[in-house]
Amino acid sequence: MTYFFDGSISGFLTAFLAAYHDEAALVTSRRQQLILGEAPVYIKTDETRAARAKARLLCFDDGCMKDLNLLLRCGDDNSEQIAFSYFKKLAKSGKPVHNMLSDDAVFAAVEKIRRVGLELHRFHGFIRFMETASGALYAPFAPDHDICDLLLPHFRARLPRYPFVLHDITRKKAAVYDGKNAFVAPLEQAEIVLSGNENAWQALFSRYYAAVNIPSRERLKQMRGYLPVRYRRFMTETHGEKK
Amino acid sequence: MFDFLLWEGYNGGMITQEKLTILTESAKYDVSCSSSGSRRKNEGGTGNGYAAGCCHSFTPDGRCISLLKILLSNDCIYDCKYCPSRVSKDVPRATATPEEICELTMDFYKRNYIEGLFLSSAVHKNPNYTMERLLLVVKKLRLEYGFHGYIHLKGIPRADESLTREAAKYADRMSYNIELPSEQSLKLLAPQKSKESLLLPMKQLTLERAAFVEEKRKGLIKKGYFLPAGQTTQMIVGASPEADGRILRLTQSLYRKMQLKRVYYSSYIPVVQDSLLPTAAAAQLREHRLYQADWLLRFYGFGVEELVGEGENLDMEVDPKCAWALKNMHLFPVEINRAPLEALLRVPGIGARNAHKILAARAYTKLKFEDLIKMKIALKRAKHFITCDGKFYGAKNELAVRGLLTAAEVGENATQLSLFDDFVRFSDRKNALVALDGQL
Ligand code: SF4
Repeated sequence: MTYFFDGSISGFLTAFLAAYHDEAALVTSRRQQLILGEAPVYIKTDETRAARAKARLLCFDDGCMKDLNLLLRCGDDNSEQIAFSYFKKLAKSGKPVHNMLSDDAVFAAVEKIRRVGLELHRFHGFIRFMETASGALYAPFAPDHDICDLLLPHFRARLPRYPFVLHDITRKKAAVYDGKNAFVAPLEQAEIVLSGNENAWQALFSRYYAAVNIPSRERLKQMRGYLPVRYRRFMTETHGEKK
Repeated sequence: MFDFLLWEGYNGGMITQEKLTILTESAKYDVSCSSSGSRRKNEGGTGNGYAAGCCHSFTPDGRCISLLKILLSNDCIYDCKYCPSRVSKDVPRATATPEEICELTMDFYKRNYIEGLFLSSAVHKNPNYTMERLLLVVKKLRLEYGFHGYIHLKGIPRADESLTREAAKYADRMSYNIELPSEQSLKLLAPQKSKESLLLPMKQLTLERAAFVEEKRKGLIKKGYFLPAGQTTQMIVGASPEADGRILRLTQSLYRKMQLKRVYYSSYIPVVQDSLLPTAAAAQLREHRLYQADWLLRFYGFGVEELVGEGENLDMEVDPKCAWALKNMHLFPVEINRAPLEALLRVPGIGARNAHKILAARAYTKLKFEDLIKMKIALKRAKHFITCDGKFYGAKNELAVRGLLTAAEVGENATQLSLFDDFVRFSDRKNALVALDGQL
C-alpha cells in the first residue's frame, strides 16, 4: 500500500503509525511516486498522534528528530521511504541504531543525512550574494535538498548588518533576514535592482578567479568533484556555467 | 587616526583590475588556503570565524578558493631566485593602499566570495616598513571596518619583534614560509633570508601564543585573541635537492616543537629562469606523496622514521601507508572485528572516516566482508591486510600484493589527492571526525 502524506514532520509521523504494520508499505509525499491504478492511502496529518509517536521515538534515541528533519529535506526520490525503514528499525530495536552501518536501512538513511549535511556545508561557501540598490543582499540558488532556512543562522551570524534573501529557485521559496527577524516565505520571482557598483565587483571577482588559477595544472575532474557543474549556475566567477 | 593618508599612493575606493591582477598573480603560488581553526565571534560588525573552514569556490586547477589571497606590494628589495617578484626581474610592479585592500575584502566578503583575507607582501623598502603596513591594514580592517572574518597574515622575516607580536593580536593565523628545506639551499636561492630569520619569529609566536592561552585559561585575560588558528608554513619541493626524508623530518619537528597547524608543500613550477634552478617542474605526484605522508604524521599516529629514511624519497609506486605495510607484513592481517583504532588506521586503504565507521558498526554485529562492501568501504587495497570474522580475501604472498597495489594505484591516479577527498564529513551526528576535515 502507498501512504501519501504532506511532506511535514508531523505528516510523516502520522503516516509512520499508519504504515507501521504494513510489510509492503511505500511512504511518500511525492506525486510522481504514486503507482498508476493503485489508490493510495491519503494521510491526514494528526498532530496529537504525531506528538505521541515523536515522544516515543525520542525515548529510543534523543537525536532521532534531527535525523528526521534532515531526511525529509532530502530531495532524492526515495528518501521518505528510506526514512520510514530507518524509523521502523529504530522502533523495533528500542535503542539508537544510527551506528548500525552494516544494516541496509540504517546505512541508506545515514548516507542521505550525509548528503543533506554536505550540501548545507557547501552552500555556506557557494552562495553568491548580489548587492541591490537598497543595500540588501540577494542570492538565488537551486539546492538539491530543501535547505534554505537551514542556511539562515549562518549568514545571520556573520552579516547581521545586511538584510538578505536566500532564494531557492526550484522550490520557489526564500529564507529572509530583514535586519531584525528571520523567516521563510514563498517567493516565485524576485524583482531586483542592482546597486551601482555591483557589476564592477562581480567583474573584479571574476578577474581574481582567473588570476589565481594555474593553467598548467588543469584538473577539471577534481574541480567537478568539489564544485559540481549544477551548482555553478548562480556563481559569479563561473559566469553561470550550466550543465 | 588618519595616518593612513600619509602612505603614498592613497586614493581610496575600488582597486583597479590591473592592480588586482598583478597583486594576486604573484600571491597564487602560496598554496595555503585553509580558513579553519578560528572561532572569532561577530561583535556587531561583519563576519565571524568558521572553525571547520569553508571553501567558497574551486578553480580549474582543482584548488579551493577560501581566502582572498593578495599581496600588499610585489615591489621587492630581495632577490630570491625562484620568485617572480624578485628585484632583478623586470615585471610590472604594484602596491595597494590599505584602503583598497580593506574595501576589496569587505565587498568580497559580504557577497560571500571569500571566507577572509590572506595578506602577504614582498619586502617593500625594508622589512619593518612592510610589516608596519601589513599591520596597518589588519588593524584597520578589525577596528575601523569592524571585520571579524578570517585573516591569515604572512610574517615578514627580520621585521621587529614588537610588530610581529602586535600583528598576532589581530590575525587569526600567521605564516613564515620556510620555502627551502635546508640552510644551504636558502643561502643559494634566497640569499637575503636565513634559517634564523624564519624560525625565530615562528618560535617567538609559538611561545607567546602558549603564554596567552595559559593566561586566558587562568582567567587573567578575558578578551582578545592571539593567533587563534595558529601558524603554518610552506616548502617548495623540487627546486633544491633535499630528499623527502629530510623534508618530512623538518615537518615532524615543526609539528612537534613549533606546534604548527600545517605544513604545505608546493611542487616547484619554473616561473622564472635561473641557472641555479631546475628547468622542469617537479612532479605533482611527489607533492601528493608528501601530503599523504604528512597526514600519516598528523592523524594516523606514524612517526617519520617509520615512513622514510633521511636521505630517501617516498615510494612513487604506492602510497606511503602501503609502502610501510609492505615492509611490515608480519603485523598483518588484522581482524577488523577486534583491531584497535590505531591498528585499523594503519591498514592501507582504510582512512580515518572508514576506521570510525567500522568501530561504530562492529559494536552491533560481527562484520563480514559483505558488510564492509555494503558500508562502501574501499577494499581494493585493504583486503590484503585484514581478516573479516577470521576470513582472509587478499593475495597470498608479498610480491603478489605489491603487484596488485601498484595496479590499484595506477587506476586511481586520475583522482589524485584522495586523502583530501575524505574531507566530506561523515554525517554521524555523534562522531568526532570533524577534526579530520581536510582543511585542518
Ligand atoms: S622576499 Fe623573496 S620570495 Fe618574497 S617577494 Fe621578495 S623575492 Fe619574492
